[in-house]
Amino acid sequence: MRLDVFDPAMCCSSGVCGADVDASLVQFAADVKWLLTRGVAVQRYNLSQQPGAFASTGIVRQTLQADGVECLPLGLLDGRVVFRGQYPSRQELQHLMKLEGVS
Amino acid sequence: MLRLLDDPTRYLFFTGKGGVGKTSLATATAIALADRGQRVLLVSTDPASNLGQVLECDVANTIMAVPAVPGLSTIDIDPEAAARAYRERVVGPVRATLPDDVVGQIEEQLSGACTTEIAAFDEFTKLLTDQDLIHAFDYVIFDTAPTGHTLRLLQLPAAWSSFIEENPGGASCLGPLSGLEAQRVQYADAVRSLRDPAGTTLVLVSRPERSALAEADRTSAELSTLGLDNQRLVINGVFEAHDLKDPLASALERRARTALAGISSRLSALPREFVPLRAANVVGTAALRSLFAAPATDTPDFADTTPDTALPPSLGQLVDEIAGEGHGLLLVMGKGGVGKTTIAAAGAVELAARGLSVLLSTTDPAAHVADALGGDVHGLTVSRIDPREETRRYVERVLATKGKELDEDGRHLLEEDLRSPCTEEVAVFHAFSRIVNQARRSVVVLDTAPTGHTLLLLDATGAYHRDVMRTTTVPADRIVTPMMRLRDPEYTRILIVTLPETTPVLEAARLQKDLRRAGIEPFAWIINQSIAAADTSDPLLLARAAAERPLIQRVQDELSGRIAIVPLQAEPPIGPQHLRALVARPMPKARFDG
Repeated sequence: MRLDVFDPAMCCSSGVCGADVDASLVQFAADVKWLLTRGVAVQRYNLSQQPGAFASTGIVRQTLQADGVECLPLGLLDGRVVFRGQYPSRQELQHLMKLEGVS
Repeated sequence: MLRLLDDPTRYLFFTGKGGVGKTSLATATAIALADRGQRVLLVSTDPASNLGQVLECDVANTIMAVPAVPGLSTIDIDPEAAARAYRERVVGPVRATLPDDVVGQIEEQLSGACTTEIAAFDEFTKLLTDQDLIHAFDYVIFDTAPTGHTLRLLQLPAAWSSFIEENPGGASCLGPLSGLEAQRVQYADAVRSLRDPAGTTLVLVSRPERSALAEADRTSAELSTLGLDNQRLVINGVFEAHDLKDPLASALERRARTALAGISSRLSALPREFVPLRAANVVGTAALRSLFAAPATDTPDFADTTPDTALPPSLGQLVDEIAGEGHGLLLVMGKGGVGKTTIAAAGAVELAARGLSVLLSTTDPAAHVADALGGDVHGLTVSRIDPREETRRYVERVLATKGKELDEDGRHLLEEDLRSPCTEEVAVFHAFSRIVNQARRSVVVLDTAPTGHTLLLLDATGAYHRDVMRTTTVPADRIVTPMMRLRDPEYTRILIVTLPETTPVLEAARLQKDLRRAGIEPFAWIINQSIAAADTSDPLLLARAAAERPLIQRVQDELSGRIAIVPLQAEPPIGPQHLRALVARPMPKARFDG
C-alpha cells in the first residue's frame, strides 16, 4: 500500500520554519513515521521543491487547475484521493488503514 | 611586498567586513601573481561586488580575461542571479502545466535568503571542484563576501553533509537543497579543499579599529571551528598622522595604535602584516600594482580641488522631524561597523532629552548599547533582543506546547527540525514584532543587526504577513501585521547609516533596493564618520575628505532626498553629553562651505 502526500509550498515538512509552528504539520510528520512502521510506503512531495510531481500526476494537476492551492495537502492512497485541504488525524488514518486491512 | 606572496597556496580567500579593502587586496594579490607569469583566476562572490570598478574592466558571471593584466582572469558570482537561475530550473518545467497562482506560490517560497545562499554556494563549489578549471589556473583567489555571508557559505556544506546523512527522508528546513542533493560529492570535495592547509589560505582583512578587529577575531574563531586553520591577518588602512598638531589626526593615529595593542591572543598568533592608508581610493591597475610597493609617499602633495558645495545638514534636523510625531518606530539600519549603535543611541538620547518616552532596543549581537550610553538617561529605557536567548526560549515554548501531545518519535522529529537555522530567524522575529507594536504609544529606536540579518528579519516578517493573510478569519481590513507597520511611513522611519566610502555606499544602496522591493521606503540616509564634515588640517585626511566628496554627492543626487552627515570624532562618543553633541554639532565652517 502506498500513500502519496502532496504538500503545499513550504520549506520543511514539520512547518517549524513558518511564522508559527503549525501543530497539525508537526503531528502529521509524526504520523508519517508511524505509518512507515506499519509498512505503508509514504512519499511526500513539496510544491516548492518537487513541482514536477504535481504537474505529472494527472489527478493532482487537475485538482490544482480546478481549485488552486487551497486543495493542498492532497493525499492519494494507491492513486485515490483520501484527503484534501487538511491533514487527517491519527484516528482518521487508523480508520483508513483498517478499511484497507492494515493492522 | 606582502609576505603573503612569498609562497602562496593555490586557493586564497580574503575575508572581512565590507569596506576593509578585501577587493583591493585580493585584486592586488592576483595582479602580483599574474605579473610573475602565473595563471590566476580572481573570483568575486560579494553581492555588492565592485571588482569591475576596481579593475576598470568588464567582469561577468563567466570567466573573462583582464586585458590590462596578462594571465589574470575574473569571474563574478552574483548570488541573486544564481538564485534566479536555480528558481528557473525548478519552476520552468512546470510553468505551462500548473496554474499561475500555484507557480507564483512556488516562486515565492524559492525567493528567500536560504535559496540565494544555497544557489551561490553551488556556484562556488563548482569553481572549487571543476577539474578543467583546476588545470587552467595556478591560483584561484576569492574576494569573498562580507564576513557573515562568508561564514554561512562556508558553514553550509558541513551542515549539509551531516544533514543529508542523518535525514535520508529529506524532510528539512534546508529544503531548497533537495534540488541540489545530487552534488553532495562535490560539496564534500569543496569542504576538503577548504580545510587543506597546503592548498588553502584564509586572509583575514581588517582595519586598525576595535570593532573590525573584534569581527576578525570572531571570524577567525568560527573558521577554526570549521577546520580552516591556515589563516593570516592583514591590517589595511594603517594611518600615520602627517600634521602632528592636528588633534583629529593624532587622535586617530593613537586610536589605531591602541586598537592594535589590544588585539586578541588568537589574532596576534597569526602571521600579520600592514598596508598603509592611501590618500585616494585604489582604482585601476597602476594603483593596484603600487599598493604592496614601498610605504605611501603619495600623500603630502595634495591640493583641495573639490567644489565648494555645501555638505548635508547635521543629525539635529532629522531628530526635529522625528520628534514631531511623539511616537513611532525608528529603525537604524546598515552594515556592521558603520556606527549604527552610536547613531541609534545619539538619536534616542536626543529624543528623550526633548521629553519623549523612548525605548532603545537592539538585535545586533555585537552591539553594546549600554556602553555607548555610559549610564542611565532620564526617559530612556534600553532593551536587547538576544538572538540566542530568544531561540532558546522559543524552542522551549514550542516543545512545551506543540510537542506536548506527540509521542517520542514525533517529539524527536520536532526537536530535530527546531535545530535548523530558520528557528533563530523565527524566534528573533517574534521578539521584533512585539517591539514593533510598542511604538504605537512611545518612540522605539531599534538598532538592528547588520544588513544580511536585517533582511532575514524582514523576510520573516513578510512571510508572516502572507501567512496571516492566508489563514486568518478576521476581515482583511482589520488586520495590522508588523509588515504593514513597517510599510507605513507615518509609523516607521528607516534610517540607513553608511560611511562615505565606496563599498559601504554600495552596500547601503543595495539595502535600500531590498527594502524597496519589500515595499518599504527609507526615511533618510546618515553619512557617518565623515572626514569632510570634520575639522582637520592633516594632508592625508584632507585627501581622504576630498575622496569622500563625489560619494556624498552621489548619495545626494541618486540615493536619498533626506540626508544627514555626522563628522568623524576624535574619540568615540560615550555618554549622553557626547552623544547629544554628535546630533547638534554644527558643520565646520569656511574650508568646505564657503
